[in-house]
This record gives sequence, structure tokens and C-alpha cells, in this order.
Amino acid sequence: MSIKTAYSTKSAVKDAAAEVAAGIKESRPSVVVLFSSSKYEPAVISAELQAAFKNALVIGCSTAGEIVSGKMLKNSVVAMGIGADVVEDASVEVVNSIKAENHVPEAFTSFEKHFGVKMVDMDTNNYVGLILVDGLQGAEEGLMEKIGDLTNITFIGGSAGDDLAFKQTFVYANGKSFSNAAVLAVLKLKKGFDIIKTQSFCTMNKKLKATKVDERNRTVLEFNGKPAVAAYAEALGVDPKEGKNQFMRHPLGLIASDGQPFVRSPQQIKDNAMVFYCNIKEASELSVLESTDIINDTRKSVEEKMKSLGPVSGMINFHCILRTLELDEKNQSAAYGKLFSSVPTIGFSTYGEEYVGHINQTSTILVFK
Amino acid sequence: MSGQVKSLIDKIISERSKGNPTIVNTTKTKLILKGIDPDEWNAASPDDSQVISKIKQIAQELGVTL
Repeated sequence: MSIKTAYSTKSAVKDAAAEVAAGIKESRPSVVVLFSSSKYEPAVISAELQAAFKNALVIGCSTAGEIVSGKMLKNSVVAMGIGADVVEDASVEVVNSIKAENHVPEAFTSFEKHFGVKMVDMDTNNYVGLILVDGLQGAEEGLMEKIGDLTNITFIGGSAGDDLAFKQTFVYANGKSFSNAAVLAVLKLKKGFDIIKTQSFCTMNKKLKATKVDERNRTVLEFNGKPAVAAYAEALGVDPKEGKNQFMRHPLGLIASDGQPFVRSPQQIKDNAMVFYCNIKEASELSVLESTDIINDTRKSVEEKMKSLGPVSGMINFHCILRTLELDEKNQSAAYGKLFSSVPTIGFSTYGEEYVGHINQTSTILVFK
Repeated sequence: MSGQVKSLIDKIISERSKGNPTIVNTTKTKLILKGIDPDEWNAASPDDSQVISKIKQIAQELGVTL
């Protein structure tokens, strides 16, 4: 049993599904998690994996690149089979129409019926939530906020991708595929779990207060009472015309009580406003960040966690596409993949990461003890 | 008058976490993401009616009765 991972780069979707199914079969999974390139027909890959494991809960999503133990991949499907010795019980709900509506409460009512305990009373050490969400609806903040309102258990996950086409992304559950939807799963674990949240930034001594915001459109109109792009450029000591060239290296961060940033990455400049990949609330104070080394920082985070936990059963890595692009540019993707050689791992390059809220330029990693 | 903002924030964190230190931290982060940084407020902070109103709304969202 325990956890097994597998991947396939076969072109035909049914062949790829068969290959990964054969690779994880030994785990006799009660839960299967799969991440697949958009080259695979979403409905077919989901149906094939569910057919291969009729009694398992099968969830997944489309990606912008995949991760499997020791490797970063593209145009592949990766899967993890999680045995009953790791997951005692699990339940999945599909939340539809996420762009305009928020049906998290209904999903939570179903979870409460399944597990026989209120979401707000669930043991935070043994229950964990997974969220996979259509990455092109801009709905992550509303979903994560409602989840956080209604439960104390950790929900971790990522926003589905489509190999940078930015046309349509899919989530998978119960042998079907869905757009404009999120898949929520609650796992009751036998040995518990931990979380790694790692981003490669340090804080500069520069603060920007969001004084005028268009929250619906993830747009900051003004920082510190000035046009957003002017204030951002001023903080970095560059000409406003150079502002957009600083985005990857200098995103902004809400600093949590442990001193770690929740990264908000700028996407583009519109007039003098800045559009972000996630929402910034008006009156929030953000720190200007400066990038550090993804490989070294991730290695340190993973090694520290492994040292504190001892042997772990597996990891699921929700890894920002912006980090993937930076690793590709620096020819470091292979080195990043190798950081996850010693533990059964799957993951994917996301259009956003979820942990407490919606974040950018981060890896949120679920670690099964 | 002063200190009401901190007092309300502390009550939200205390009610929600019931003393669990991990939930204390995540609740603080949830508040930051909702636009209220708990560390910005202390017993001497003025009672800003707009902020108090926002915190009451957040408490309702989190299911905490103030």
C-alpha cells in the first residue's frame, strides 16, 4: 500500500492513462491524484483513471507542466496512488459556477454528513483539504476566503493550467472533467500531515499601502496615495517606464505573523494602475520583495521539513508557473526536480497556489507523514 | 477612546483558535488577507469606527460573536 507515483509521456491519452494506472496500482489506492498536460483530453483522462480504480476517489486537473519524483516534465500525465494505510477516509465535492457564485457552504454540508463532524470542529492534525480550481476564472480568493471562514482545517492546492494557452483549464473528479469549477476533497489521514510553503524572496525596507483598489479586477489604482505604477517604481528607484521589467524580481508581499510573505505578483500595467495575479484588499500594507535563489531556498525548506518529520510517505507540490518559467530560463528545472527524488512526489505548474488564501510565485506542498 | 480594535481582534483570534497556537497563526493570516493586520493595532490605537465596523463584519464571516 502506501504511496506510489507514476508518469507517462505517451501521446495517446488511453495509453498514457494505462501506463500511470499500472505504475500506481501497487499502492491499492483509496485516493488517486492526477495532473495532466492540456494535450490530453480532460474528460478521457479523468474517465480512464476512474475506470482503472473504480473504488477510489480520483481527482486532478490540467496543468502547465508536471512534477514527479525527481523530475520536472512537460506534456505528460503524473499520478499518485494513496493507499488506505495513509488515508483513512476521503470525500470529494465539485463546486460549480465559481465565477459568479460561491457554493462552498453546500460542499461543506456534504463533507459534514460524510464524516459526521462539523467542518469547524474537525481535528486540524488529521484532516486536510485539497482544492483544485479552474485557473482562469479569478475565483480563488472568494473560494479560499469562504473555506477559511467555515473551517480551521488546512486547505492546500493549486489553480489548474493549460500549458500557457490561457484558453480553458479543467478540474477532474468522479471520472468527469469540469470548467468554471473547483474540486474540493477532504482527507482523513492516519498519520497526519505537514505543509511546506516556500517562496524565494526577501523583504526590502519598502512598504506600499494600497490606498485605492478595484478588488473585483485584481487591480491597484493607487499605492501611498499615488498612481500605483509611480509609487512602485519610486520604491524601487526606477523610472515608471521600467516598472514592468521589475515584476518577476520584485513582487509584493503581505507579511504573515511568522514573517513569511504571501506573495502578490504584478501581471501588467493598465494606464497607471497595476493588475495583479491575485487580489489585494484596500488599506493593506505590502512589502516590496526581492527575489532570491529558488533551488537553494526550496532545498532548505524541504530538508528542514524532512529533518523535523523523519520519514515521510509522499508529497504533492503545487508549484507556481512563474517559478517554472524562471527555472526554465536559468536552466535549473532538472535541479529543481531532483530536490524531490527521495520522496514519492507529484505536482504541477499552477496558475496560482492556495494555502490559507490565494498566492503567487510560491510552492505550497502537502507532505504526508 | 482607544484599544477597542485590538480587543475585538484578540477576541476573534481567541474564540476561533480556542488556544491552539497553529490556529492562532492561521487566523491572524486570514485577518491579514481580509485587510486587517493584527500586529498593527495595540491598546493605544484609536477607536476608528470604520475599522471597528470592518472587524465586526469579519467576525460575522468567521462565525464569531463579539
